[in-house]
Amino acid sequence: MIRQTLMVANRLGLHAGAAAKLVRLASRYSSEVVLGREGANQRVDAKSILGVLMLAAGMGTRLVVSVEGEDEAEAAEAIRRLFEDRFGEVP
Amino acid sequence: MAAKPEITFRGHGVSPGVAWGRALKIDSQNRVMLRVEVADPESEVARFLKAVEMSKIQLQELKGRLEEKVGVEHGVILDAHFLILDDRVLREEIVERIRAQRANAEWAVTQATERLIAAYKSLEDEYFRERHSDIEHVAERILLNLSGDSAFGLGRLPEDVILVARDFNPSNFATMDLGRVRGLVLESGGRTSHTAILSRGLRLPAVMGLCDILASVSTGDLLLVNGDGGQVIVHPTHEHLENARRQKEALAAAAEAAGPMETAAATADGMALSLRANTELPHELTAAIACGAEGIGLYRSEFLFFAHPHGFPSMEEQRSVYSTLARAMSPHPVAIRTLDAGTERLGEGGERSTNPSMGLRGIRLSLALRDAFREQVEAIVRAGSDGNIEMLLPMVSTVEEIRQVKDLLAEVRSGLERAGIPAAPVPLGVMIEVPAAVLVLETLAREADFLCVGTNDLIQYVMAADRGNPAVDYLCQPLHPSVLACLGRIAEVSGRMGKPVRICGEISSNPFFAVLLVGMGFRQLSMTPLAIPAIRRALGKVSVAAARRVAERALTLATTGEVYDYLVPEVSCLVPIDLSPYEKEIRPSRHE
Repeated sequence: MIRQTLMVANRLGLHAGAAAKLVRLASRYSSEVVLGREGANQRVDAKSILGVLMLAAGMGTRLVVSVEGEDEAEAAEAIRRLFEDRFGEVP
Repeated sequence: MAAKPEITFRGHGVSPGVAWGRALKIDSQNRVMLRVEVADPESEVARFLKAVEMSKIQLQELKGRLEEKVGVEHGVILDAHFLILDDRVLREEIVERIRAQRANAEWAVTQATERLIAAYKSLEDEYFRERHSDIEHVAERILLNLSGDSAFGLGRLPEDVILVARDFNPSNFATMDLGRVRGLVLESGGRTSHTAILSRGLRLPAVMGLCDILASVSTGDLLLVNGDGGQVIVHPTHEHLENARRQKEALAAAAEAAGPMETAAATADGMALSLRANTELPHELTAAIACGAEGIGLYRSEFLFFAHPHGFPSMEEQRSVYSTLARAMSPHPVAIRTLDAGTERLGEGGERSTNPSMGLRGIRLSLALRDAFREQVEAIVRAGSDGNIEMLLPMVSTVEEIRQVKDLLAEVRSGLERAGIPAAPVPLGVMIEVPAAVLVLETLAREADFLCVGTNDLIQYVMAADRGNPAVDYLCQPLHPSVLACLGRIAEVSGRMGKPVRICGEISSNPFFAVLLVGMGFRQLSMTPLAIPAIRRALGKVSVAAARRVAERALTLATTGEVYDYLVPEVSCLVPIDLSPYEKEIRPSRHE
């Protein structure tokens, strides 16, 4: 399992558009991807839009992302890039 | 468990009779939110998954259209809906609920989405909190797609029920399981609402105008409905139920004692009358025949349209219904009234009018939607070869409208002749319900084969008062001297010109008013089927001369109150039958 802490850096936060991108990306991999706010118990399935939106993660929120499965290395890397890319939000 | 205390509600009894049974609450969209235990949960799962797939296809289409109109960036809104539909957590929860509780799909969808909606509503951030409405939209769409083939909608109920709702869309009558519905209980509505009229036609006990009853009733509660007294009892005692049972048996015995149907309707001095039925639903045809109706005086075709998933039934679908009616009533005539609706009833695409009753409706709408109208005209003409069919045009206000329809009729007929399809001649009738039509009646009568008075609308238009508006409904009085003057003129002109005329409003089912109509010279009355036996009996006791005397005197009076005070004792004297239950229907609501 790969665990990494990533920050929501885009201005709008993990809103519907960004969440949709994350869900679509995570769904491409067979690995399970689980998200949670740093320091909180709540865990959500990154392949569920309703789960991701439920985190209500605004700009600056730090999320713990756990990836587990055959393709976990590729999945974790792709997800990290999406966060760094600010979900493609135009600044 | 101790019995729950009895609660009594009082409203308006709009359709007589006593009924009892389990309550079934339906929501604002008139959808059943009933939990049903299903025999085969896997087929419910399949039904749910199919509804999800249909929803996805619709969203894809919607997204394409939205992007075309307002740009790609707005399609993102629907993207989220798409992902919610595809959400595996939600989907698994719903499937799990269906399997574990052996519940119907509608119930499982509602329960699962309501839980999520509540969770979202508790979020602090406004943007994320607002996402609950996305879930609502998606749930709405899945439910809509489920209702199309639901095994447990209003169309197929698992047990006998009393329907409880705020409003009730009358088009539900066309599709609901009438064998299972015992009574109707509504928070809104009144005696003259379309739902009330239909309830009477179907002999379905109904009470309306019950404030806040929804809050006190749960699906499954035992209800006792008294449509005569306008009373609804929640959790009735054993004693009350026994009383109701006895009352119902006594009513049935009384109906039997009334004796068999006399042969033909006539006045006491032998003037032949023709009593016909107003119908719109297939069930009412049975009632019309059982009550001895000499034809269908008014078939409201719009229910074919309202009940149709796309709003416009095909020519073939319509023809098959009209032919069934024609064959069932043959040799008696069946008058098909063409689509009588406003744009507000035909989907979201319609114009929004601030004053829909004066807008694009009736024949005006049909002439504007000429292709759809042509289909209806063709269906009517072709059904004419299966029996005695008449065509009736609603809301005619000027002679050009009749001429345009005649041109269209000629086109349709010559088209059919060219195709070698038999087309029998179909008499063309005109509804007289707009004051303008009364004023130029001679002109209209020359163009039409017969006339038909729609008193419900005529009263509203003559008085310029909306019967649905409680502030002015006191003006909508059938006994108002202006209304009587219109009716008197219609009888006089049609008599002078030898043009057949009939009355097709609710009011002809009132014996007091029926005597007045016969006295004015009307010989054809069309009414809700179940009223026919009582009207036949009442009119059979009155001579034409006596009725004429009553009508002549009534036409000289100045106010509704004066007419009422004269008419009731006078007719009660002539007709040796207890007519007191009918007084309420014509009593002025603000007695001057």
